[in-house]
Amino acid sequence: MSFISIEFLLFVAGIVTIYYFIPHRFRWALLLLAGYLFYASLSVQFLPLLLASTAVTYVTGIVIEKQQTKQRKKYVMFAGISVLLFFMGWFKYFNFVNESLRNVADFLGLSYNVPYQDLVLPLAISFYTFQAVSYLADIYFGKQKPERHYGYFSVYFAFFPQLVAGPIERARKLIPQFKVEQKYDYDNITYGMKRIAWGIFKKTLIADRLAPIVSSVYDSPNATGSEIVVATILFSIQLFADFSAVSDIAIGCARLFGIKLTENFKQPHFAVSIADFWNRWHITLSNWLRDYIFIPLCKGKKKRGEIYFAIIITFLVSGIWHGAAWTFVLWGLIHGFYRVFGDATKHVREQIATTVGISKRPTIHTWWKIAVTFLLVCYSRVFFRSNSVAEAFENARLFLTPTSWNPVGILETFQLFSLIDFVLFAFFFVVFQVFQYMERKHRCTWNWLSQLPVFSRFAFYSFVVLSIVVYGVSENGFIYGGF
Amino acid sequence: MGRFIIKILAVAAVVGLVFVPVNQFVSVSHDYNINHAILNFKNNPRPVDIINVGASHSMYGYNFKSTGLEHLDLALPAQTIEYDYKLLKEYGEHLKDDGVVLVSLSQITFGSTETKFIGNYYEILDREDIDPYNVFDYYSYLYLPGANTASFLSAVAGKFKEFRWDDHKPWVDNGDAYAERKSKRVEAEYAAAVEANTISENMRYLKKIIEYCEERDYTVVLTIEPVHESYAAYFSEDDMERLVFQHLDALDFDVPLLDYMNDERFASSREYFIDGDHLNKTGRKVYSEIVYEDLKEMGYLHRPESIPVGRK
Repeated sequence: MSFISIEFLLFVAGIVTIYYFIPHRFRWALLLLAGYLFYASLSVQFLPLLLASTAVTYVTGIVIEKQQTKQRKKYVMFAGISVLLFFMGWFKYFNFVNESLRNVADFLGLSYNVPYQDLVLPLAISFYTFQAVSYLADIYFGKQKPERHYGYFSVYFAFFPQLVAGPIERARKLIPQFKVEQKYDYDNITYGMKRIAWGIFKKTLIADRLAPIVSSVYDSPNATGSEIVVATILFSIQLFADFSAVSDIAIGCARLFGIKLTENFKQPHFAVSIADFWNRWHITLSNWLRDYIFIPLCKGKKKRGEIYFAIIITFLVSGIWHGAAWTFVLWGLIHGFYRVFGDATKHVREQIATTVGISKRPTIHTWWKIAVTFLLVCYSRVFFRSNSVAEAFENARLFLTPTSWNPVGILETFQLFSLIDFVLFAFFFVVFQVFQYMERKHRCTWNWLSQLPVFSRFAFYSFVVLSIVVYGVSENGFIYGGF
Repeated sequence: MGRFIIKILAVAAVVGLVFVPVNQFVSVSHDYNINHAILNFKNNPRPVDIINVGASHSMYGYNFKSTGLEHLDLALPAQTIEYDYKLLKEYGEHLKDDGVVLVSLSQITFGSTETKFIGNYYEILDREDIDPYNVFDYYSYLYLPGANTASFLSAVAGKFKEFRWDDHKPWVDNGDAYAERKSKRVEAEYAAAVEANTISENMRYLKKIIEYCEERDYTVVLTIEPVHESYAAYFSEDDMERLVFQHLDALDFDVPLLDYMNDERFASSREYFIDGDHLNKTGRKVYSEIVYEDLKEMGYLHRPESIPVGRK
């Protein structure tokens, strides 16, 4: 049961209807059942792993609190986190580590006999493991009391709107919302429906329309430089439309139950620096990495070099979290380097901007920074999207080759689309950009829309629904659903 | 609650009103009704002399009207050999005792496993033969074709045939651009099939077709339809060996193959083609008459003569 399916919409409608008809004391059970049903419909074989992770985290949380000394609390926390990371590491990283060690052994001429394991990645394991780690760490740091009600705790682990691809929520934000009796609220229902519709719009009219074009270039053994440039820019648009769509649908679904999830995106492609980008892209993961990797690593560190080292390690973890492949490791390291370089050269760059005079024209300066940041992000995504390290370096070389940016070659590359597909994509992309522009101007376009005359509002809603029905294509799962 | 329902109904009504003409537009389009001949046959079955299966090369390849033969065309665009088998199983019983089954092979036959237009089969096959079968897709395809984006875009493309990039027009550079693009697609599809290890699956279905025909004493002939020289230039003998013949040889059938791919009567005659690899109305007629004569020469279709085996 994919998010983009009639079955899912009917499933949500059914659960929401029952939710508001049953007493509050039974609602956790309904949400838990819905979560497990949803997970089972996608990956029934890994339901026991989800249940085991839930139980381990629940028990560990209570045991941490019962310890008398800080030292013992720490041991228990690390024991619990180790078990959770073992589950994730075994399924997600075993073959990656195994293959890497085999290559090293081959290089050194040593014998290495650990066999390849035929492992399938359990759905959503990266997301719920990070939620579990944050829960245990928060108990250790005294920011969170362990949850005693196993039902509510299990819902935190298996809340179906955000189970598969986030946002990565903290227990202290989510569990209290489950415990409060949510009354039927007209605004919540309409807002939730609008966010779901907008998510489906982005997924079916932009992301999935671009997916085959991007694949045709990245899966081609002899793509040209211009094709790599165009496909990488299109991949950036696809990735944002795809991932923000799944977040929109998650936030919209949760809102139907009166639950407010954290926003995961703030127009990241309008970031003016790499630091700004990570404040706008996958915000819940960035915050998680900041709180549980970067800050602990920086504790007691004052030297700039030590802070930079912590930054590199944090982005390395981010890369490894995204996938068990060296391409993701390199992607993380590139962002770490960007971040460090950006910080180290900040004053020099400001001086250059002043000398050149561009800082006197703030609009041009801002758009210049947006363009540079976007291209840097695109370059890193060559590594994110490539199928192997060798291909990634070759594609990166093509991306940086000046002739690849020849406008004629780039325009010709758009012929990867059929003309009809291109016109449709261009039209819906413009709609998407207009929406984003209004978002920048009005903070919340949905609120702005709700103040428009009824005719304009309903024309827009009808346009969104009709566009999805007639032009929407969906043949792929969500990219982040695979992490 | 009432206000909410009224608003939902208002949006639904507007969407519905705009959707009606879109739906009508798609439902009468050529591509949506591409299976109409098979559907007509299903409703009015009759004994036939010749059945052809295959993908678009076969669908655009045969019209035996001028020969007087009763003909059933079971070929559909991008049809996989799995669906060749399923359609033959469904309609094969209508073949006359001395009839012939033409199984079309092309560069994509062994590399193609994904059925791109599953909706084409909803009305002409039993549900249990359709895989994957989804009840929502089934009813929406039949009753709300406007909601099927592929059908909608095909209908639009059919209406605006000239609305293409210049390089996407079939005879730009004497067909070279078309042939290059298509050969890349064939190679990509074949590489994906090698990686997914699905070629053996197609070989299994071809074997099933042959066994099915043998069990019923049907005469079966493999064919490769003619293509324009601009297209053939992208598929050398080595390419064809890799894409088609190595798999055919591995199956070791005792079945004749009529290979017209580089037939000189067609290779340089653009007037016979819509594009580099699909015959037009004229080409179809000429080609079908040639096939008919060759089949007769082989002793099929009432003329018992010697039967040559192997590539023609």
